[in-house]
Amino acid sequence: MRKLGLTAALAATVALGACVQTKQYADVQFTPPEGDYKLLVLRPDVTVGSLTTGGMVEPRAEWTDEARANIIAALRAQQAGRGGNVTIIEHRNELPGVPEQELADVERLNFVVDESIVDAKYLGNYLPTKRGRGLDWTLGADAVKLGQQSGYDYALFLHAEDQVASGGRVALGLLGFAGCFIGFCAPNIGGAEQLDYASLVDLKTGKVVWFNVVDAASQVPGIKFGDLRTPQGAAQMVERLLGRMKPGQDVGRRQAIR
Amino acid sequence: MKGLTAAMLLIGASALSACSSLGGEGYGISDYAAVNVHRVTVGNGNMSVVPPRPWNRHRAILFEDIPAVEDWTLNGELLDGITYITGLKSGHFMVRQRHSADQQVPKFRADMTPPEIAAMLESLYRVRGGAVDFHTLSIQPRPFLGANGFQFDYEHLDNDELWRKGRVVGAVIGDQLYLIMFDAARSHYYDAALPDFEAIVASARLRA
Amino acid sequence: MCARCLELTRRSLLVGGGVAAAALHTGIADARIRPQDMVPLVGPGFKPTDVDEQGLWHDMARVEEEIADSNLLIQDPKITSYLRDLIGTVGGPAAKDFRIYLMRIPDFNAVMFPTGFAVVFSGLLLRMRNEAQLAGVIAHESGHFLRRHEIRSWRDQRRKTDLFSIGAMLAGLGGAGAGVYLGDYVQLAQLGTILSLFKYSREMEAEADAMGVKLIAQAGYDPMEMSTVWQQLIGEEQASAVYRGKHRHHGSLFDTHPSDDARMADLKADALELKVPGKLYNDYRDRYLATIGPIRPMLLDDQVKLNDPGASEYLIETLAQDGWNGLLRFYEGEVWRLRNRLAFNDEARAAQSYAAAVVYPDAPADAWRWHGIFLLKQGRTAEAKAALSKYLTMKPDAPDAPWVRQTIG
Repeated sequence: MRKLGLTAALAATVALGACVQTKQYADVQFTPPEGDYKLLVLRPDVTVGSLTTGGMVEPRAEWTDEARANIIAALRAQQAGRGGNVTIIEHRNELPGVPEQELADVERLNFVVDESIVDAKYLGNYLPTKRGRGLDWTLGADAVKLGQQSGYDYALFLHAEDQVASGGRVALGLLGFAGCFIGFCAPNIGGAEQLDYASLVDLKTGKVVWFNVVDAASQVPGIKFGDLRTPQGAAQMVERLLGRMKPGQDVGRRQAIR
Repeated sequence: MKGLTAAMLLIGASALSACSSLGGEGYGISDYAAVNVHRVTVGNGNMSVVPPRPWNRHRAILFEDIPAVEDWTLNGELLDGITYITGLKSGHFMVRQRHSADQQVPKFRADMTPPEIAAMLESLYRVRGGAVDFHTLSIQPRPFLGANGFQFDYEHLDNDELWRKGRVVGAVIGDQLYLIMFDAARSHYYDAALPDFEAIVASARLRA
Repeated sequence: MCARCLELTRRSLLVGGGVAAAALHTGIADARIRPQDMVPLVGPGFKPTDVDEQGLWHDMARVEEEIADSNLLIQDPKITSYLRDLIGTVGGPAAKDFRIYLMRIPDFNAVMFPTGFAVVFSGLLLRMRNEAQLAGVIAHESGHFLRRHEIRSWRDQRRKTDLFSIGAMLAGLGGAGAGVYLGDYVQLAQLGTILSLFKYSREMEAEADAMGVKLIAQAGYDPMEMSTVWQQLIGEEQASAVYRGKHRHHGSLFDTHPSDDARMADLKADALELKVPGKLYNDYRDRYLATIGPIRPMLLDDQVKLNDPGASEYLIETLAQDGWNGLLRFYEGEVWRLRNRLAFNDEARAAQSYAAAVVYPDAPADAWRWHGIFLLKQGRTAEAKAALSKYLTMKPDAPDAPWVRQTIG
């Protein structure tokens, strides 16, 4: 009956201080994709809202649209630098060859896997059997089937959340919840907050080969890290999230030996 | 329940150090310890098993747990898990719950037939586990720990929209409930660890 | 074991919304709002022009997509088209714009989202005794939309939180703080907060009541049925509380919703005002029962398996006012079996109910199985074997057939 505690624990991570943290995990065999590959970006979850004085987030449609457009442009540019073909789908019925329900099921499994990764790798509930094994999770045969039906090599699940402090914001110094990991995203009280995570799935094997979280919190309002509403900000976020993809342990070792 | 305690601990720990929210692996105290490939006792010590490969067992939290219950996982309990019940006495609940809770999991009683035990487990999932749909796939006789036991197969849809699948092997011995329960995401994770479960069940022994 | 075992029940789904037709409300009644004063504030084809409202609609589009894809949807075409017709009848000017989804959640509730899609919980279909009652709840939800309560309440909260930020924030985060999992459709940032901020004020709930009763009267339903809905709900809450040795919560000054009693009283007065003497009103009970009949076993199953015996027994007895049958006696037995209190002699009660159930021609196969098991426990082995054999005849592929066969020997 242990799982009784899990969700609340996930809900209660805290971001303090002005720091940009990103810690990525990769499968030991992972080599960042290069050359001729087809990348599917699934329904990027992007929102930008305005943080009012009281701490409420007011969703701003035009900001969100801008941010999404910027992220998508940055993604394409970044991936183009690597030589791949990127397709970004916004709605579940936009992927030819894949029934909507199947895609939904893969997304849901991915979400639970991402939660598990966060819990095990980022919240300190590490699993001893996974120590030293890089990123050891998979989406299994359903993801492989998705790859076969859709013709893509990789799938990227992306979540980007950015709150912009509006004028008059008072830093409350309260603990905020990075509750996005359980599907409920609460605004992070304490200033502009940017919380983004991405997981990359190799559709030939179904394995999650790369996972990264960027948590850029600022206690001081007015300091903005990569405002997603601007192309530069979005590019910065994408770069932080995806650009510094490091190869996995074993690959690194092989390269070192060489 | 204990979830609140875990959350409070987490908040407490994180507040002490800035920039520590993305604490990496290996820092701090994990709730899990490794179980290696040798015979171990589980729950309150009445039963022992041998896992075919290393699993992760959840540390017991004093005063929070029901001693007869123990949880293991391979990939995280949202994805897969094995639960041991080792000698739950008649008239007891298998989870802690408030006496005044509106919806309750029923008590175990020693005169329960396998369909009744299955119903108790279904209740657990529906009332406490957030399952919105629960299908019993089969209930059949199966020897366990030298007694006439049963095997119960089921699947359930939870409110994270994920289907999970499970198998329980159990028996009532000396008016106490012994069972080993395996529950995992129906997509990939159930099939991946089912052989582990079967090996563990085959290895299970009662300690005198 | 069960991945969501923290206080998470199906009831937790959408709990952050608070956008409820009914919940455990309290509050002192203010002066009654008159139905004739309730005019719709939106017309057909409404789309927002204000920036903040547009933002809200934008986020809601994603929510609706998730709900439309949800595994929790009940998609029986007969029932969904029935519900669509219903909201088309009582939706006022927005009738043609509304969408309505039925989700498998055993709670008495319905939720209207700001963009005009409603989610009805399956528990509502178990509790409504006729079409007029169901229409009343749907009309109430339509009232929230037609009187623009969502955007009003959200703006209210925004004003308030500028002043009382900490309290409001934490109150708004209640859902997340309790570890409530709200599913993928609130994964969108801030959406959970947004939903939790749609806490309608007492006045708004009263407005929706008044608007609702007016809409159903206009459509030819007996307006008195709305207060009957509250009567039934109060009865159920009472039964549930009494069983647990608790007191049903009565009104208090500090709560935001009118108390159930106050609502009931006001709705009665509304109905008397609206009823045209001599006019024939219909509750379309037969049509309603015929439509939901096929899923009633599932609704009863979901409810009974929550193991809230007070509420479940109350509901079954309410349904039995239309006549006992095998299905209801069977589920009565299930309530006692799951309650399983020695002090109440539940084993004997359950046995009795199952025995009663199998007399009826519509007794489900499962009734025979439990009848057989309880006969076994009483030592009446021959009869038990006969009952279990009958179970197998009715359901040769039953999941537990192997165990049953071994038991029969």
